[in-house]
Amino acid sequence: MAQSPAASLTPSAPAPNAEAPARPKRTYNGPSPRTLLVTLAMVVTASVLAGVVSGSVTVLFQALITGLLTGGIYSLIAMGLTLVYGVLHIINFANGAMVALSMFLTYAAVSGLGLHPYMALLITVPAMFVLGAAVQGTLLNPIMKAPIHTQLLVTIGLALAIENLLLMIFGPTPLSVELPGDHGVSFLGASVDLSRIYAFIGALVLVALLWLVLHKTRIGTAIRSVAASPEGSRLVGIDVKLIYVLTFGLGAAATAAAGTFVSTFTTIEPTAGSVFNLTAFVVVVLGGMGNVPGALVGGLVVGLTEQLGGLIFPGQSPLLTVFVVFLIVLFAKPQGIFGRAS
Amino acid sequence: MKKEEGTVKAATKLILVPTVAASLLALVGCQGSAALGGDHPDDTAKEVVIGSLHPLSGANAADGQQMSFAAQMAVDEINEAGGIESLDGAPLRIESVDTKSEPETAQSEATRLIQEGASALIGSFESGPSANISSVSERNEVPFVMDVAALDSILQQGYKYSFRIQPSGSMMGESSAEYLDQMTKDSGEDVTKVGVLYEQGNYGTAVEKAFANRIEELGMEVPSAISYDPASSDLSTQVQQAVAGGVDVLAVTGYYRDSLLISQAISSIAPEVKAVYGVANGGFDQTQFIDDAPNGGAGYLNANYRLDVTDDRARALSARFDKGFGAPMRASAALSYDAVNVIAEAVEEAASADPQMIRDAISHSDYEPVVVNDGRIDFDETGQNSHAAVSVLQVKDGAIRTVFPNDLAETVYTFPAPPTSAQN
Repeated sequence: MAQSPAASLTPSAPAPNAEAPARPKRTYNGPSPRTLLVTLAMVVTASVLAGVVSGSVTVLFQALITGLLTGGIYSLIAMGLTLVYGVLHIINFANGAMVALSMFLTYAAVSGLGLHPYMALLITVPAMFVLGAAVQGTLLNPIMKAPIHTQLLVTIGLALAIENLLLMIFGPTPLSVELPGDHGVSFLGASVDLSRIYAFIGALVLVALLWLVLHKTRIGTAIRSVAASPEGSRLVGIDVKLIYVLTFGLGAAATAAAGTFVSTFTTIEPTAGSVFNLTAFVVVVLGGMGNVPGALVGGLVVGLTEQLGGLIFPGQSPLLTVFVVFLIVLFAKPQGIFGRAS
Repeated sequence: MKKEEGTVKAATKLILVPTVAASLLALVGCQGSAALGGDHPDDTAKEVVIGSLHPLSGANAADGQQMSFAAQMAVDEINEAGGIESLDGAPLRIESVDTKSEPETAQSEATRLIQEGASALIGSFESGPSANISSVSERNEVPFVMDVAALDSILQQGYKYSFRIQPSGSMMGESSAEYLDQMTKDSGEDVTKVGVLYEQGNYGTAVEKAFANRIEELGMEVPSAISYDPASSDLSTQVQQAVAGGVDVLAVTGYYRDSLLISQAISSIAPEVKAVYGVANGGFDQTQFIDDAPNGGAGYLNANYRLDVTDDRARALSARFDKGFGAPMRASAALSYDAVNVIAEAVEEAASADPQMIRDAISHSDYEPVVVNDGRIDFDETGQNSHAAVSVLQVKDGAIRTVFPNDLAETVYTFPAPPTSAQN
């Protein structure tokens, strides 16, 4: 592999000493200006095309706004996935099931305790953190050196267990959580619900929080160094297994936040999270595996592609364009939009 | 040393993985069924086994579990009333399995049920799994009575052992168009343009095609027919597309989750339409749609199969179901109840548990169903219940009411019924 998938989690300021002045140190974590420009140009072209095909400015505006907002939701859900992959190199197939679990926890908190849906974050985030830490500590830590498919199977098993437990406890009838005061807002003829705007803001806040934790705290530094080199971290005295436990916990906590935000505008059922699984993986790979801000951009690109693609190719599944774009990006930039060449 | 450590680790791994797998299997197994007796059906049967195949887990579990429960209810009632008389009171037994919404699982489970002695099968809510069960039952010459499965082509293969109680996708699409036409004319409203939104799968496309064709034959226009992925998390753009340029009525064919998303988008976009009209819609006639939809879904119309609420027997059944299951009975569950009863009557008539004889008896079934039907059940040569019918429902005063055709109506319909006005 030419490129460590965890590139962006690598500490960006090692040994500032004499010997390597030739190469300027890059602390900038984002894509190159050229990549950004190309991405932007493609979005504009697609918008113009979609506008022409659909023949309605309102429809185009709606598609752009919906694309941005659903993109925010996708990145929200992909955040935990990319963090866990970046540090643990585990592809967590239970991510969707964990989103569903958090949705049901939110439902229980709202209907049982009468909490405001967003106050449920105070319950779902710590609860899922503990659950994630427990999963890593008991199920995954013992098999971290096993081949990747072993961990993959454990997470698939976990997903099945969570979904069927939810079905057993809550039954199959779909549930819902209402956000008090939720209503549509109009913008240039396009309309969106407030709950979706809040979820989008939630995604931005979550990215910022995760970035701060990873880059401004000692734990974050430890996480990034474990991502870069578990052996090296062990040598300098970092408890690698503990960091694994914390990271999976952190990933699960991010998933919990996603679940709570999403629960206010979607139907709550055991499979409600796994419908996002495929999209979330695309988002993670597009954004660069293990790259938290990348997941945000990846999510927005997928959201917009889905909406505009749906307009340009009527009658086709929106996933068609998503995967065409996915293949093109992988061909041009195999390490993802946010990945950097070494 | 090192090698030993490795061996120990490998051993832990070897133990852990199967343990996890085994406990998972046990979990999944909880929902499965007890082992079947291997007795083969013969004329001196002690019991007659009916295999029930529905999605008990996954996205359609809400319907699947209701349907499985209703099938069990039907069998319990027959057994309590003395079983199959012509077989000296032999009881019926339901063997309920989970298709997991997967065609291949449906196929293997149907094969297993038949091998273990099922005399007939019912199922399965989804068209894909139903198509596979159909071909298995044909090959094994065991009758299969479909409760819910809309796809027309399942019965266009020349099968002799497959029967369908619900109206096919095209029957529902056509009837919906005709009812819309009559209702708008009766209320003196001018409806010339109908926008259509439909889920992109087998069911949505089959219904939409028949609906749009019939609408155009009736002299109305379909300026936009927009398909969507039912797994989407937002359908605002599709709603905008369907109403772009102005339509009088917005017709929607979809499942529960996506129909709810559409109602949310309609609420925030507030298009100027005279009504939202479900065409065989799986969401607009669910009781929880009233709880979940903006403005309680007031005014929403839906043409669909439905429990015949004018019938005392159907109403009593619905009340018993609600008490036993703990949730209001869906029309899909009523169809499963009917499917079991069609088979039970056939067994009674054939006086045998032999699948071939049961099949012959089913083919001239004369059962009166609890769902809305043009009289008694009548399977044509393809196996379709040619008397299957839809009725139109409307959300009124916080409840779902049958409003059309008039002889089945509980109350009069409101038209126009714009989705955004509060007075509906």
